[in-house]
Amino acid sequence: MNKTRTAALAALALALPAAAACGGDDGGGVTLRYAFWDDNQRPALEAMIAAFNEDHPDIEVELEQNPWDDYWPGLDSRFAAEDAPDVFWNHVSRFPTYADNGVLLPITDYIEEDGLDTSIYPEDLYASWQFEGDQYGLPKDWDSIGLVYRLDALEAAGIDPATVNDLEWNPADGGTYVEFLQKLTVDANGENALSPDFDPENVVQYGTAMASSTGQTDWWNYAVQNGCSLQTEPWGDYAIDAPECVEAIQFTADLYNRWHVAVPAESTNQPNGGVPGDYVVPGQAATTLDGSWMLGFYRDGLEPGTWAVADNPSGPVGSGTVINGLSNAIYAGTEHPDEAWALVEFLGSEEAQSIATEMGSVWPGVSSLNQGFADYWAGEGIDVHGFQAAAEGTTTGYPLSMNDAAFGTAALDEFNQVWLGQKDAQDAAEAVVEIANAE
Amino acid sequence: MQTLHDTESRSEPVGAHRPLRRRRRREAVEAYGMLAPSIIGFAVFLIAPIAVVAVLSLYDWNLLSDPEFIGLENYRDLAGDERALQSIGNTFYYVLLNIPVQTALALLLALALNAKIKARNAFRVIYVLPWMAMPVALGVIWRWVFDPAYGALNRFLEVFGVDGASWLTDSAWAMPVIASVNVWQYTGYTMLFFLAGLQAIPAQLYEAADVDGASAPYRFFKITLPLLRPAMLFVLITSVIGSFQVFDTIHVMTAGGPAGSTATLNYQIYLESFTQRNAGYASMLAVILFAIIAVITLAQVSFFRKRTTYDFS
Repeated sequence: MNKTRTAALAALALALPAAAACGGDDGGGVTLRYAFWDDNQRPALEAMIAAFNEDHPDIEVELEQNPWDDYWPGLDSRFAAEDAPDVFWNHVSRFPTYADNGVLLPITDYIEEDGLDTSIYPEDLYASWQFEGDQYGLPKDWDSIGLVYRLDALEAAGIDPATVNDLEWNPADGGTYVEFLQKLTVDANGENALSPDFDPENVVQYGTAMASSTGQTDWWNYAVQNGCSLQTEPWGDYAIDAPECVEAIQFTADLYNRWHVAVPAESTNQPNGGVPGDYVVPGQAATTLDGSWMLGFYRDGLEPGTWAVADNPSGPVGSGTVINGLSNAIYAGTEHPDEAWALVEFLGSEEAQSIATEMGSVWPGVSSLNQGFADYWAGEGIDVHGFQAAAEGTTTGYPLSMNDAAFGTAALDEFNQVWLGQKDAQDAAEAVVEIANAE
Repeated sequence: MQTLHDTESRSEPVGAHRPLRRRRRREAVEAYGMLAPSIIGFAVFLIAPIAVVAVLSLYDWNLLSDPEFIGLENYRDLAGDERALQSIGNTFYYVLLNIPVQTALALLLALALNAKIKARNAFRVIYVLPWMAMPVALGVIWRWVFDPAYGALNRFLEVFGVDGASWLTDSAWAMPVIASVNVWQYTGYTMLFFLAGLQAIPAQLYEAADVDGASAPYRFFKITLPLLRPAMLFVLITSVIGSFQVFDTIHVMTAGGPAGSTATLNYQIYLESFTQRNAGYASMLAVILFAIIAVITLAQVSFFRKRTTYDFS
C-alpha cells in the first residue's frame, strides 16, 4: 500500500513539470483555439489551417466543434469564465449582443495597419460585421436557401424536373407548389395526396421536410415570399404579427396539417428533431428547402444523379429567400491577439477561401470565388446557380436585435405548437412579439 | 510541567497525561490531514458554488459583461413568471410520477430476486444495466422509440391495430413518458439497495414466523417492510433528490416542450442561464430548487426518525 502510494506520488511529481511545459510557450509556439459548429465543414477548415501553417509553422490551431444548439451556450459560459476560444465562427443573430458587451476584439486597426483590401467582399456582407464604427470580423462565407429535390421521387410521380423552377404558392389553395408536393406525398397503398383514397395516417414518402430551429430554412422563406418583414426595420421591433407574416406562418402550418405534405412536426420539431436532410436522404421526404451549406451532406448521402437543386417557389409577392453569412471573429480576451488576427486575416483571404470553394464547402465571402464554387458543383452534376439567383432577388436576413435570445426561444416554443396544430398562428405570433419586444 | 488549572488531567496519573494529549493531538492532525482532500473538494466544489449561486441570485448578469447588484428583484420577479411557476409544478408532477412507481417496482424486483430462482444473478445484472448506461445516449434511443411516425413503439402498436399517440409532442403524454423512461433506467439501481436490505434480515425471524403459521402478506408487512426501513430511508432520500434534479433525459427527449410541459425547475434554470443569458435569475431559481429539496429531505428524515428501527448486529 505504502509502496504504491510512493510510486504514485513519484509519478505525479515527474508528470507535473511535463504538464507545465505543455501549457507554456516553449520554443515560441502558440496554440490558438478555433471554435465552429458545422461538422460538415471540418475538412475544408482542416485544409485551410494546413495552408495557414505553411506560412505560420509556429502557430498551432486546435479545432473545437459543437453542434449549433450547444455551441452558443458553450461559448457564452466560456465568455463568463474568460476562457473563450481565441477565434470562432460568429453569427449575425448573436453579433450585436457580443459586440455591445465587449467580448469581440475590434479588428479595425489591424485592417488599417495591414492595408487589407476589403473590397474583395460584397459591401453589405462586410458591413454586417460593423458595430458603432468598428469592424469585428471578416466574412467567412455567405449562404442562401434553395429547393433540394430527389430526381427519383419526381420520376416516380411523373413530374418533369424542368417545371420545378417555376412553382408558385398562395395561402388560399396552395397553388402549383402544394400540388407538386401533394403528388410527391405517397401513402402505403401508393395513393398520392391528391387522391380521394389518400390515407394521411399512413404516409411512406412526404413531399417536403421542414426542420429549422430559427425559421431560416422554413417559414422565413415563405414569409419573404409573402411580403412579410420580420422586423419593422433593422434594429427595430419584431413585427411577425403583421397579417402577411401570420399568413406565411399559417401556410407553413398548412403544409403539415391541412395538406399533409410535410413530415409531421412530431418528428421534425426542433431542437430534438432531425435536420431536413435526415428525411430526404433515406427517402422519407422527396424535397426540402435547405441551405447552400448543406450541399455536401446530400452529396455524401445520395448517389450522384439522383438529386438536384431548383429555385425557391414564388409566393404572392414573388420569389425570395433568406440570405446570411458567417464571419471569423476574435475573442477580446485572447492572449494571442496578433496570432489570432493572422489566422482571421488568412481565413478571410482569397487563398484560403479558394480552398473551401474548390472543396464545395460553402459559398465564399470573397466575391471573385463564387464561380469556383459553382464550378465544383457543376462537376458533381449539380447546378447551384439557384442559390445565387435567389441571393440577387428579394431577400431577408436574420433580424438585427439585442433581443435575439428572447425572440429565438419564444418563436421556437410557440411555432412548434403551431406546426403540431395545437395553437393558432395569430395567437402564437402575438405571443412571440410580446415577449421579444418586451425587453 | 503540571499546573493546577489543568483540570482535564486531575483524574489521570501525572505520567500518563502528556503523552496521551500529544498522541491525541497527533491523531487529530493525522485525521484532518487525511480528511483534507475530501474537505477541500467539498469546500471548493460544493460549498463555494452554493455560496456563489446564492450571491449571484441577487444580481442581474448576462454572462458577457459585469454583474449588476439588484437586491431581491429576481425573487420578486418569480411571482409573475408563468413559465418558472409552471416549471415548479412540472417538477412536483414528475417526482410524483417517478418516485412511487420506481420504489414499488424496485421493491418487487428485489423480493423476486431475493428468492431462490434460476439465473438469479444474471437477472440482477440485467436489471442494473440501464443504470450503467449513459442517460443521454439512452434518451436519444428512447426518442427514436417514441417517434410517432418512425418509432418502434407505434410500429409495434400498429400490429395490434392500436393507433399510438404522439408521445413526446403531446403535452398530456410527454411527462409520463419521460418519467417512465427514468423509472426504467433507475429501478434496477434502486433494487440493489432493497436487495442488500433484504439480505440483512435474519432468516430466523421468518423461521419463527413460519412456526407461528404467519401468512405471506403478514410476514411481508410485519417483518420485511419494518426491517427494510433503513434501506427505504436511504432509497427515498436519494431518489427524491435525484428526481427533483432531473435534466439529461428531458434535454435530449423533449427539450422542455411541448409548450414548456416537460420543463422542470432544473431545466428552466438551464434555459434561463444558457439560452436567455439570465444567469442571476437562473441562480435565484437554483436557490429555490435547493430550498424545496432541503425542506422535503428534512421532512423525510424526521418522518423516518420517529419510527423504530431494529438492530440485529
